Amino acid sequence: MLMKLTAGTVYDPASGIDGQVKTLYVQDGKFVKQPASDVKIDKEYDLKGKVVMAGAIDMHTHIGGGKGNIARMLIPEDHRKDPVHRSDITRSGCGHAMPSTFTTGYRYAEMGYTAGFEPAILPVNARQAHMEMADIPILDKGGYVMLGSDDYLLRMLTAKKDQKAINDYVAWTMNAAKAIGVKVVNPGGINAFKFNQRKLDLDEQNSHYQVTPREILQVLATAVKEIGVKHPLHVHGCNLGVPGNVETTLDTMQGIGGLPMHLTHIQFHSYGSEGDFKFSSGGAAIAEAINKHKNITADVGQILFGQTITASGDNMRQHANHGFASPNKWVCMDIECDAGCGVVPFKYRDQNFVNALQWAIGLEIFLLVDDPWRIFLTTDHPNGAPFTTYPHLIRLLMDKSFRNDMLATIHPEAQKMTTLASIDREYSLQEIAILTRAGAARLVGLDDRGSLTEGAWADITVYTENADREKMFEKPDYVFKDGELVVVDGKVVHTKWGTTHIVRPDWDNSVEKDLQKYFDRFMTMKVGNFKISDDEITEDGRGSLTTHSLNGVT
Amino acid sequence: MSALTFTARQETAQRVDMSPLVCQLLKDLTVTEIAAIELQNGKRKMRADELFEIKGSDTQNIVIKNSFAKLDFIAKELQEGSVTVEGEAGAYLGMGMKSGAITVHGNVGLYAACEMKNGLLTINGNAGDFLGAALPGNKQGMKGGTVLVKGNVGQRAGDHMRRGIMLIEGNAGDYCGSRMIAGTIAVMGQTGRFLGYAMQRGNLLLWQQPILSATFNDCGSHTLAFLPILFKSFAKFDSRFADATQAFNRVQRYGGDMAEKGRAEILVKL
Repeated sequence: MLMKLTAGTVYDPASGIDGQVKTLYVQDGKFVKQPASDVKIDKEYDLKGKVVMAGAIDMHTHIGGGKGNIARMLIPEDHRKDPVHRSDITRSGCGHAMPSTFTTGYRYAEMGYTAGFEPAILPVNARQAHMEMADIPILDKGGYVMLGSDDYLLRMLTAKKDQKAINDYVAWTMNAAKAIGVKVVNPGGINAFKFNQRKLDLDEQNSHYQVTPREILQVLATAVKEIGVKHPLHVHGCNLGVPGNVETTLDTMQGIGGLPMHLTHIQFHSYGSEGDFKFSSGGAAIAEAINKHKNITADVGQILFGQTITASGDNMRQHANHGFASPNKWVCMDIECDAGCGVVPFKYRDQNFVNALQWAIGLEIFLLVDDPWRIFLTTDHPNGAPFTTYPHLIRLLMDKSFRNDMLATIHPEAQKMTTLASIDREYSLQEIAILTRAGAARLVGLDDRGSLTEGAWADITVYTENADREKMFEKPDYVFKDGELVVVDGKVVHTKWGTTHIVRPDWDNSVEKDLQKYFDRFMTMKVGNFKISDDEITEDGRGSLTTHSLNGVT
Repeated sequence: MSALTFTARQETAQRVDMSPLVCQLLKDLTVTEIAAIELQNGKRKMRADELFEIKGSDTQNIVIKNSFAKLDFIAKELQEGSVTVEGEAGAYLGMGMKSGAITVHGNVGLYAACEMKNGLLTINGNAGDFLGAALPGNKQGMKGGTVLVKGNVGQRAGDHMRRGIMLIEGNAGDYCGSRMIAGTIAVMGQTGRFLGYAMQRGNLLLWQQPILSATFNDCGSHTLAFLPILFKSFAKFDSRFADATQAFNRVQRYGGDMAEKGRAEILVKL
């Protein structure tokens, strides 16, 4: 079928188109060149005056894996307030902070999102994570496999194995877990928690393995680069949420020595320890460091006020924060030899000094980082806020007077501790398109997404221009996924299944010899069962795999 | 004005959500409007007058006749007036009720008085499990008011209870007063196993010697001056609790649950 999207105002940073009126053609799910004049157009949409962007991509959102189910079980009262009824084309479920899989897919699509990436897939739980994401309709998905606190890697480091062996292990694990990137969470800290350490600084040794977080980051960032994975090492750093952690974060950026590294939910790692309450903003220092280090990218992990639930692999920090659980219930657990997880419900309050300043710090980072290609729009769903708050966040970024109105309502001491009021920057539509489309696609390493050029998959969002950006972005006129119309006027009209994005870096088969012994001795699974085969994702007829290219392997 | 009376025409195969038929929601409605209210019945909806024969007009005084055990959420969040049930009631009777009075002449199902806030709930028959409890996953159950049960109650009565009084003339099932935060439960009959399991604070007042867990400590016998005052406050109820011969002030006191905060007490009549 040949589809014509006539005369929309196109924002496509991937091809450098910034608000030009352009007609797009889509055939068999992909953008094509303007056909000859005698070719019959099967369907035409008149987009005159409409804003056209690629489908948005959330490059860090917790939508799959065991911790999401723990979070769902922990907050039934949140689900009761937001039941979702079935319709002729959509299934029932529940919403708000940690929506059901189906609701996740519908609500993302209804905001114009067409892909989401789960950032914390434990290798041993990867099968469950993929099965869960297989139930998310419309969206494309993928995940970053979590390494760095697994006993196997730490044993390798203690035994001083060479980088080649580690590269093989990382590549093998990525293949086994069907990942597109590698994530490290509180490097070595989750493991140290098992040996009764309750904090772990960048240069502090794991009491059992005598390995420091700095070494782990170094070796993993090198591995990711050398095996050619485009998505840089995805780092959730040390000391999340600790006042004064801005120093750790700056040190982490310095210490990686120019290797590509993505710092995730950096807002939670940008705290100073000054002022009357010993809590201050490190936003400006962090933004300055990101501006300086071109190898660093970051997503913000903005907090927004209201009830949510935090779900993280970082059980060391989650355990430390369990006293703030609201409602008062929480879960922390170790998970085999891989890592752990912690789930703590949280209510961010604008009249709480710390929460109010967290809100301002996130916005400071957004506005002070100059290069929109190296900063990404996230709330670390559901940790900072549910993903459904994105339109509100976009308005905060695009509308200075609205932002300052909001700023005037937060805790007065927090207002004094932030420079937010003095920042004049307002994001343009093109910059928003970079943050949420082109930049995200490039960062994740997606070859043919996040763009409106010929050959790319036709994931398209069409908005009506509105000065109230929240209203504009929460209700797209049309959303197309792979060329199929899925949303009209902010409501799902048709559902389909997205693909799972992966990479397949090369490894040396000899790596399995040692792993076999290790699995037999320590794990609950045999190494043969641990590896997820392609069939497991594709055999039900609705899942599919899309393998993306690697950088030239050194 | 005569009581607004709903007489069930026949029992339904599926459960019915009765939450729309509560005094404060019917306040300004005519009988015709009330008849047109749609009730969820299993997966379909039915009009109120399809299920009930409706008579009378006093919306502050509702009577449900021929009631049966599939009528759930009767008098949900009741704010004023009274609801009388002749027959059985289903689950979640008087859930979150804020004021007023509910009287049931029959047995009631699970989760009666669930997260109740105030008012008086009288059950002349037996009550199911989780009387006055919190919804699954919630942290606080009944937060105030009085529940009077003339028959027996099921398991987990007063689970997560926060405040208020629960008076039980018959027996209580296992885990009576489990995870109680505070409040008072008085049981005239027998109690089951795991009495006061993980109880933090609050009182269990018993007429019969219970089987106690090892995590409750015997604190000796006491004459407590507050007991006569408490019993006097029961005098207004139509209940054996109002009978002066049932009152006592001499008790054996047990403290626990030591596996929790351990500031709860079980007082047993001597």
